[in-house]
Amino acid sequence: MIVIRLEDLLYSAPLLVLTSSGLLALIAEAAGRDKPVISYYTSLIGVITSLILTFLNLGAGVPVFNNMILQGGYAAYCNLIFLSSALLSIVLSRSYLERMQYHRGEFYVLIVFATAGMMLMAAALDLTIVFLGIELMSICLYVLAGFMRKKELANEAALKYFLLGAFATGFLLYGIALIYGTSGTTNLVVISRSFAQLSGNSLFLIGCGMLIVAFSFKIAAVPFHMWAPDVYEGAPTTVTAFMSTGAKAAAFATFVAVFVRVFDIPGTALSSVLALIAAASMIVGNVTAIAQNNVKRMLAYSSIAHTGYMLSGIAAGNAEGEQGILFYLVAYTFMNIGAFGIVSWVEQQEDRKLKFDDYAGFSARQPAVAVLMSVFMFSLAGIPPFAGFFGKYYVFLAAVKADMTWLAIIGVMTSLVSVYYYLRLVVLMYFCEGESDVAAKVPLAAISAVTLAAVLVILLGIYPSLLVDMTKGFFKI
Amino acid sequence: MFSYSPLIVLFPLLGFLFLGLAGWRLRSEKLIGIIGSGSVGLSFLVAIMIFVHMLGLPVDQRKQSVELFTWISTFTGTPSSISVSVAYQLDQLSILMTLIVTGVGFLIHVYSIGYMRGDKGFWRFFTYMNLFIFAMLNLVLADNFLLMFLGWEGVGLCSYLLIGFWYDRKFDTGGYEPGKATTSDAAKKAFIVNRIGDFGFLLAMLLIFIHFGSLSFDAVFGRAAVLTPGSSIMVWITLLLFLGATGKSAQIPLFVWLPDAMAGPTPVSALIHAATMVTAGVYMVARCSVLYALAPAAMQIVAVIGALTAIIAATIGLVQNDIKKVLAYSTISQLGYMFLGMGVAAFAAGIFHVLTHAFFKALLFLGSGAVIHALHDEQNIQKMGGLRKYLPTTYWTFVVGAIAIAGIPPFSGFFSKDEILWKTFSSDYGSIPLWFLGVFGAGLTAFYMFRLVSLTFEGEGRYGHDVHPHEAPRTMTIPLIILAFLSVVGGLVGIPESLLGGNAVEHWLGPVFDPAYEKLRLTPHGVEATEYVLMILSVGVAAAGIYGARVVYIRRTELAELWRRKYASLHKLLFNKYYVDEAYDKLVVSPTVKVSDGFLWKGIDVAVIDGAVNGSARLIAMVAQNIRRVQTGIAQQYATVFVGGILVILIWLMFK
Amino acid sequence: MTLQSFLFYLLAVISVGSALLMVTRRNPVIAALYLILNFFALGGLYLTLHAQFIAFIQILVYAGAIMVLFLFVIMLLNLGDVKQLTERVSYKKIIAAGLSFALLMEMLYIFVYAPSDLPTSRFEQAATIGTVEYIGKQLYTTFLFPFEVASVLLLAAIVGAVILAKRRLN
Repeated sequence: MIVIRLEDLLYSAPLLVLTSSGLLALIAEAAGRDKPVISYYTSLIGVITSLILTFLNLGAGVPVFNNMILQGGYAAYCNLIFLSSALLSIVLSRSYLERMQYHRGEFYVLIVFATAGMMLMAAALDLTIVFLGIELMSICLYVLAGFMRKKELANEAALKYFLLGAFATGFLLYGIALIYGTSGTTNLVVISRSFAQLSGNSLFLIGCGMLIVAFSFKIAAVPFHMWAPDVYEGAPTTVTAFMSTGAKAAAFATFVAVFVRVFDIPGTALSSVLALIAAASMIVGNVTAIAQNNVKRMLAYSSIAHTGYMLSGIAAGNAEGEQGILFYLVAYTFMNIGAFGIVSWVEQQEDRKLKFDDYAGFSARQPAVAVLMSVFMFSLAGIPPFAGFFGKYYVFLAAVKADMTWLAIIGVMTSLVSVYYYLRLVVLMYFCEGESDVAAKVPLAAISAVTLAAVLVILLGIYPSLLVDMTKGFFKI
Repeated sequence: MFSYSPLIVLFPLLGFLFLGLAGWRLRSEKLIGIIGSGSVGLSFLVAIMIFVHMLGLPVDQRKQSVELFTWISTFTGTPSSISVSVAYQLDQLSILMTLIVTGVGFLIHVYSIGYMRGDKGFWRFFTYMNLFIFAMLNLVLADNFLLMFLGWEGVGLCSYLLIGFWYDRKFDTGGYEPGKATTSDAAKKAFIVNRIGDFGFLLAMLLIFIHFGSLSFDAVFGRAAVLTPGSSIMVWITLLLFLGATGKSAQIPLFVWLPDAMAGPTPVSALIHAATMVTAGVYMVARCSVLYALAPAAMQIVAVIGALTAIIAATIGLVQNDIKKVLAYSTISQLGYMFLGMGVAAFAAGIFHVLTHAFFKALLFLGSGAVIHALHDEQNIQKMGGLRKYLPTTYWTFVVGAIAIAGIPPFSGFFSKDEILWKTFSSDYGSIPLWFLGVFGAGLTAFYMFRLVSLTFEGEGRYGHDVHPHEAPRTMTIPLIILAFLSVVGGLVGIPESLLGGNAVEHWLGPVFDPAYEKLRLTPHGVEATEYVLMILSVGVAAAGIYGARVVYIRRTELAELWRRKYASLHKLLFNKYYVDEAYDKLVVSPTVKVSDGFLWKGIDVAVIDGAVNGSARLIAMVAQNIRRVQTGIAQQYATVFVGGILVILIWLMFK
Repeated sequence: MTLQSFLFYLLAVISVGSALLMVTRRNPVIAALYLILNFFALGGLYLTLHAQFIAFIQILVYAGAIMVLFLFVIMLLNLGDVKQLTERVSYKKIIAAGLSFALLMEMLYIFVYAPSDLPTSRFEQAATIGTVEYIGKQLYTTFLFPFEVASVLLLAAIVGAVILAKRRLN
């Protein structure tokens, strides 16, 4: 039996290069003491190289390593999201961590390893890889959340995240065990062939339910969302940006891979459960966000709400839903990372300058940054012509097509509610008097990263078919 | 060659982006001017190249669409699928309009370098102007209604921005609150009146989509070509489209905004409110000629509205004293002729008039700009006079423009206007009363134009002694000369067969309008003796008008005063523009304000809507506070909720 | 009742009982010892399923290595006042207990009434599947890639632990 073919290595080059760069950065960190910059550049080069290789690999998907993972196609598309998120987070983190006096090389190593975990999650063709990918990502994130060791909130966030994450992992494994027990395999391709027959088996269904629970935890869907606001608030802001975009996108990627591409859920009870979770997330996320005074917490609840919107696409379970989510993830990644990036510029040590009021009159001192922030807020609120609008449009369309009009209606109603808290920030920036300003001079790299995000948010809002066309062939493995 | 067409649109966009982002940092007005006009000039060059290329092609290959990208695409595969592309359609009509927009636009940009010198908003001006050109090109080059609408709204926005360019200057709109208005009120008026028209356009677009299942010109017109005339939905569609056109092209009943639009800088008046944007309505009707051919009733209405507008605006123009307002009413009147042409199925003649009008009206406006410039922002012609010797270039070019608009052969205005009048007389869809209105209007046009020339340039100077008029700089006079040249020769491309010409414009545009002509089953007219008679008649009327004006305003100036006293009430009626503004104010604006203030605002809005919104907002906030209380920060509790969630999911999965 | 079912029920009772005792003890050392008992019982359960390798690894790694570490840590920490670790019974706890009980009942219901068309043939294969040789072969052929991924996972975990635990912080 041939264990590894040369093609396997070539096809999975983006993954291998990224992991190697993480290892290299680790070695460099160990060799050259107290020079986090080496680690910064090594991981940056690794991410960029991987990004380029992924672009070259965008063609049809190929199963590699004995059908363990899929490379190219769907996986490559998702990798673009994770790698962009990682790239922007790395660039934004450097100045932020230096300012907060936590600049250490291991930070980048963990980001790189977490990204590798995400890439595995999207690529997984086997439940073992799903599990390993999720764990690789999560463990890195637990540590990253508590990276600011001396901060009480950060410690609390990391511990909470870890405890509840472990709890969720238990359900994930239990679900995998039940699925394995009823189907006799962990391979998703094999399971997909006999899904129609298996879906009548209640143990299999419960196994799927457990997977839903575990995935819902990772994407922060109601009622498994409660860790998110605390962790988002406690973690370093750039890590929050990374978690709420890359990690969420990865969890969605694997969610879609299993529940849309492998399972055939429309018409089953699984679909209605997902719709319920989606509706609950939209309602709870949006309504609670209104009551927040802390911008990071507001964005955390907004992220729960966006989870709900995207989950509508999975509940719909059709090709439009998948395309909608894949578009939405890209849009969401850029607008959210941009918003968090700007929050990280305003924030000062010891969690100061994170309140809404700290943005009053921001436009007077930082007109350009205020414009960028407004672009992100408008896009998050789903106002055309920004990318966020089309993301929502596509997933709600998918829900309508799947005869879940009620879900689309809830989505639109709660989106209306969301306009309140997004625009509140814009109103504060433009129409209120205040002394707010960025905390320190923002380096050029960070400015370009956020500007790039804004440009993409606008570009995708004007020209959504750029991405949507790419995702047309991805439905079903 | 066609694939270069996106460049036409791209250059002004780049110019806009560059000036918009970096313009305020540029110190040198020269550089801004070069970038601003250069971008339009480059577009013009590309347009010429494509035009030349088109000339070399056989007739059936001259039309081509260039698709840039799919803009909106949903419900694919279902009957209700929408697919709209950003795509540009090049054909004989759109390239002609593109040449007008970029060519005249370029000259006016160059002129503006001199005119706007020293203005603190210099870069802002060129930014808006480039944005306008970009939007206008989207309007004329679009290959579907939606993109056209985007351009339509875009030019409206630019018009708004440019009318209110000097937003802090006083400007009497004669409207809602006389005396207090500023230019931004004029801008608002233009915008709001246009919105009414745009609403019609939007409704028409929806009806078209419902009826034809597409928004692309090819699909809609292709499907329309096989329909037979007479269905009432086509009347609705065409009338709503025409409502849009009356807004943009200042026709009855929506013409009131255009005279106030003169609050903007004069190059803006020349480019937007004379040469290009206001002709968008004419272009749109011409573009939809097939649809109009399916609704002859609507065409009748278009013709009548056009003729009436031509007359009414011309009569108002007789007595106005603001140099730019006279020109504005003259523009409205000329646009009326174009619509008259459209309404009597003389589509090509109407577009021909768009072309010649662009030349001489841009020329007249720029000339008036030179005058205003020379007299330090004086616009009242009663305070001018005798400028001929100080502004020779301006004078001669202005006279050329006036002769052209009056319709004296062989100047350009003669050929296009006469073509329309002849078609009005001879076409199956025209009639003699309409023709009579047209000829009468032509006489009035000649009269008020030469009243303008006489009062401005001839006789004694009536301005203050401290004013020393001077000729404009060369950046301003050179465009004047070029435009004057074009006003003289521009008509030669459309000399009718009866005068042994080739009528090149009509032949060139033929393929675009053939489907409509076929639908209308026009009986072709050969060269007839009547045509010569009518031609001589209308030239005679125009000449009489010119002569009359010169008599009244140069030789026997007491006559004007005498007539004014004798027909005081008529003069007052005309001077006050038939009290249309006042009527709108009493009938529409005041009641609306009263209803919205007393009933909608204090009644519905504050009590009902605000109550409901605030109530639900308070409710949501209350719920939010309660949900927030669940978020205690205790991890064990989170896990409890977690387990509760699992419980619900499993129960659902088991029993659903 | 066959010997196999007897062993199963015996070990099951021991493991559930020891788990309950472990979470209810107040003294952490005693709780840890119950956990070790639980691991042994689980190892026994694996053995009855013909999973010898897993059974021994369970005892070696968990009961042997990890738990010893646990005990050392607990003793070194010198928790002193045990009362700190106790909580009073509150309505929250009652809700939590109720929910857990409901979940248990539900799972029981599902397992009892589930359609029993589980694949049965594998029980015969179990004897071959459970050997060290078979597992080794699988790990280094079909599951080589997950095996390698696991190594990266462990490395990331180590890096994380070092960061969070390192004393010096510049």
